[in-house]
Amino acid sequence: MSGTNSAERPASSGRAAAGTTDTPAESAVTGKAAARPLRKAAGAGTRTTSGGTPLRPDRLSRHNLSGWLYSTPFLAFFVTFMAVPILATLVMSFTDFGLRNVTNPFDAEFVGLENYSELLGDEQFLRALFNTGYFVVLGVPLTIGCGLLAAVLLNSGIERFRTFFRVGFYAPVVTAIVAVAVVWRFVLDPSEGLIAGLAAQVGLTAPDFLASESLAMPSLIAMAVWRNLGTSMVLFLAGLQAIPTEVREAAKLDGAGAFQEFRRITVPLLRPTMLYVTVMTTIGFLNVFEEPFVMTNGGPSDSTLTVSLLMYREGFNFFNMGYASSMAYTLFVIILAVTLLQMRLLKDKTK
Amino acid sequence: MSRIALSRAAIATTAVALSLGLTACSSGDGDQLGADAKQTLTVWAMGEEGKRVAEIAKKFNETHPDITVKVTPVGWDVAHQKLVSAAAADQLPDLAQLGSTWMGEFMDLGVLEPVDTKAFKADDFFPAAWKGSERDGQVYGVPWYVDTRVLYYRTDLAEKAGVAKAPETWTDQLALAEAFKKLDSTKWAFSHPAGGQGSWQNWAPYLFSAGGTILDKDGKPALDSPEAVTAFTEYAKYFDKGLAKDTPAAPGYDVIKDFGAGSVPMFPSGPWMVQNIADQAPQIEGKWAAVPLPAGKQPASIIGGSNLVTFESSEHKAAAKEFTKFLTSPATQADWYEMSKSLPANKKAWDEPALKNADVAVFEEALNSAGEIPPLAQWEQVAHEIDVTLEKLAKGGDPAALAEELQKKTEGLVS
Repeated sequence: MSGTNSAERPASSGRAAAGTTDTPAESAVTGKAAARPLRKAAGAGTRTTSGGTPLRPDRLSRHNLSGWLYSTPFLAFFVTFMAVPILATLVMSFTDFGLRNVTNPFDAEFVGLENYSELLGDEQFLRALFNTGYFVVLGVPLTIGCGLLAAVLLNSGIERFRTFFRVGFYAPVVTAIVAVAVVWRFVLDPSEGLIAGLAAQVGLTAPDFLASESLAMPSLIAMAVWRNLGTSMVLFLAGLQAIPTEVREAAKLDGAGAFQEFRRITVPLLRPTMLYVTVMTTIGFLNVFEEPFVMTNGGPSDSTLTVSLLMYREGFNFFNMGYASSMAYTLFVIILAVTLLQMRLLKDKTK
Repeated sequence: MSRIALSRAAIATTAVALSLGLTACSSGDGDQLGADAKQTLTVWAMGEEGKRVAEIAKKFNETHPDITVKVTPVGWDVAHQKLVSAAAADQLPDLAQLGSTWMGEFMDLGVLEPVDTKAFKADDFFPAAWKGSERDGQVYGVPWYVDTRVLYYRTDLAEKAGVAKAPETWTDQLALAEAFKKLDSTKWAFSHPAGGQGSWQNWAPYLFSAGGTILDKDGKPALDSPEAVTAFTEYAKYFDKGLAKDTPAAPGYDVIKDFGAGSVPMFPSGPWMVQNIADQAPQIEGKWAAVPLPAGKQPASIIGGSNLVTFESSEHKAAAKEFTKFLTSPATQADWYEMSKSLPANKKAWDEPALKNADVAVFEEALNSAGEIPPLAQWEQVAHEIDVTLEKLAKGGDPAALAEELQKKTEGLVS
């Protein structure tokens, strides 16, 4: 990809000075030309040593066997801790599995789609669904926007403190949620918190963020954005650094300003990164659990109750496993639908 | 239909195979060891108790040298889940400490061994503690230690506000809160939870004091009874009059700092607060008091604490009984109080010098009249619904309408 780009773009821009463009273009071409025969040679080499066509199926199966052997540890882990529970949850979502069934699981009765139809009429679940949607709609664009902004800033200007800022933005990602909660409680505390203190300086009173039905969710979103922007920043940074400097230079020579360069070069070339970041962030935000769990426990008045939190409560506090499982699968279907939609919307444009 | 039948058949086959496998592993119920045989008794205890039980078990060995007591401390935060998973996997210990509100769930699981009521007498224990583990005439746990709620308030500030007498009735309590509010230093007159996890513990005493109960005689919730409505109305007064904060406290809020500073001069809580105040707010020594919760129709508090249960799967039931007897005997209970400041569930222990000399009379008084939380399998869920109701009440909801709503929700849960 990058090879073709650097080779073509300077050629199409007629004003390009011969001295600067020729070298990268040439080296790209030679690089390619050198790589191809090498790969061929390697391929041919293996074929000849294995002894030609008759032995081929045998060689393949041996290949397969060792492949399977190498992946056994992972597969065993995957089947035991992922596949089996996922299937068990699906089965459970069609039963009335409750506390009593913990000791006799096979007494659970099949209730068909009853759990699912009950979900549709469950006010609390609908509330949780709404809250989760609110969290995603506000949180995902903010996380991606802030992450991109941080990445662009780190990639361009500030040379001297780059490492410092990179660590600063990324530190929240690897910090334990309990420590994060302590910090944010201090920030949001209505009497002794950071915001309250700043507000007092200018003669204002800070609201009680976490106790207010309208402010609790935005507070959690702010916290989630702060926690997650590091991940998207690192990915964007990698994407930005993969954009060859020649392209930028060419754009500059063509007279593009910083904004134009960002719009015409950075954004289109970042599209694959953008797709990945968007999909992953959205999935993460749809699963939101930790922030409301440690900060508000769903309150006040269910205003921060999310689907995952409600699922946890039903499943592990009340042991309504069947009902909680049906919630899990409903959330799964929603995530699948949203992801497919995003892949479609963001992918089509790249073509 | 046929597919369901098929999977049922598959499940049944698996079930049979599994149960055969399990019985092959465990030697069944027949192999009970006598208390004299050499054996190891496995015990699970939670939190601080987990560390201390091992210590007290040494004393037990003086009289029972053949029984090795192996104590596994389990954190309170994981204890519930760990016990349930152990029940599912048939890996329960012989004996465990069980939080009093969990009794119903574990009775429902069918893993508890009924208590021998010839060896343990109801009369020896506080009535509410005993009743909390009784169902259909069977008792499933022996009360070990108890806790209850009392009212803590700043006597110096009360005097400053013109109230010299300790509050005894609901009217007194309200008057004291209103007097506190007039002081400049007061932020909230009363720390009265406006919903949030566990706030039901503060409302239940109002219910019992009004003469109400959680369940009626037929075992159905009675949360819309006239007594319950009275309790909700009384509870709501503090929010309506601006005497208590009408939003739930942030998780992790500790009232002691505000109590020490005088900005929140009154709160209801349990016996552990005596020590906590002494440790964390030593500057107010002698300036506060703990009194029984002020009463409506009758004196009331709630009882909490832990019970000792033996599991049905145990092969050391005789030894478990001996150890339970030891732990609940007056002498051990008095030692236990000195060690952990947990209040003895055995009433005779209160005559021991350790308790006679301690300042615990207020708790004894509260315990004798305390109401109990019935052993319901779905108690956690009922408690959650009460918490939600209190949150709505604090926001100005109508007590009667909320009680009715709560009743409807909980009726579906309790079968």
